[in-house]
Amino acid sequence: MRMKLTINRILEGEDEVILRYREMTNEVERILRALRADEKKLIGRQEKEQVILDPKKVLYLESVDQWTFAYTENGVYRIEYTLAEAEAVFAAEGFFRCSKSMVLNIWKVASLKSMSCNRIDARMENGEHVIISRTYAAEFRRILKGGKLDE
Amino acid sequence: MSKKKTGPLSGWHKYLTKEIGIEFKACLYFYCILFFYSIYRIIGGTWDASILHMAEMIFTTYAMGYLQVYLFSNFDEAEHLGKREIGYSIVCSVIYTAISILGKWFERDALVSGYYFFYMVFCYICAFWVYKVKRDIDTRKLNEDLEAFKERGRKHESCD
Repeated sequence: MRMKLTINRILEGEDEVILRYREMTNEVERILRALRADEKKLIGRQEKEQVILDPKKVLYLESVDQWTFAYTENGVYRIEYTLAEAEAVFAAEGFFRCSKSMVLNIWKVASLKSMSCNRIDARMENGEHVIISRTYAAEFRRILKGGKLDE
Repeated sequence: MSKKKTGPLSGWHKYLTKEIGIEFKACLYFYCILFFYSIYRIIGGTWDASILHMAEMIFTTYAMGYLQVYLFSNFDEAEHLGKREIGYSIVCSVIYTAISILGKWFERDALVSGYYFFYMVFCYICAFWVYKVKRDIDTRKLNEDLEAFKERGRKHESCD
């Protein structure tokens, strides 16, 4: 089935994509998936190179000075989000604020270790250790026990 | 309907957590001292305990709790028992022994005070070991919860 494509350039207002369909066909579903998938990507910069990062592959985010960096197994990328924004946007993907300067991806935690003063040591899949401070540890335990991440 | 409290701990909650930790420590060490004191009294043929001594013990353990948490890096809850932790245990035991001599808890008997000093060092080592075991159990529970979390996520994904 051929689909009519209309593209309008607007001078005012927000950018918008409207998808009009009569039946939810495979093709419509594919377009919808592609649109939704784009919402959940991180744009990372490494020197002059720009790459699209899959949030599922991000181990953790760290804020250094005024910049936010995403750490994957392959490298470190500077991203445009602040930690608070990233935590809000990717909460459903397992992103959790674990200290003032870090957000970790719970899916990428290999193991946990209880530490003194109610802190938790999270060993990530690449072997690095991220500390969940006692300020956030209770919330982390709640999430592990089935609480929602974006509550 | 009341809203469920979630999110990071506020300053008040952090303070309260620390305070409860100190209270707990005070109870733990008071119990240890009281045990030694009771045995000493029983061996001496006395079947009652001085309320004044017990009040002094409570105030001492409470003050020592603050000292341990704020000045001595909460050493009995440390990850490893190193030279620093043993040093702090000895310093605290010396303070406890000095107060016991001042308060005449053991009638200023040098031999009993000596035993009491070593007993307090032993109590600190036991407390360190108990906290360590507690953390090991918690670690096991945390990893079980992590696995359950991942399992729930995998099931959720396969349903989608």
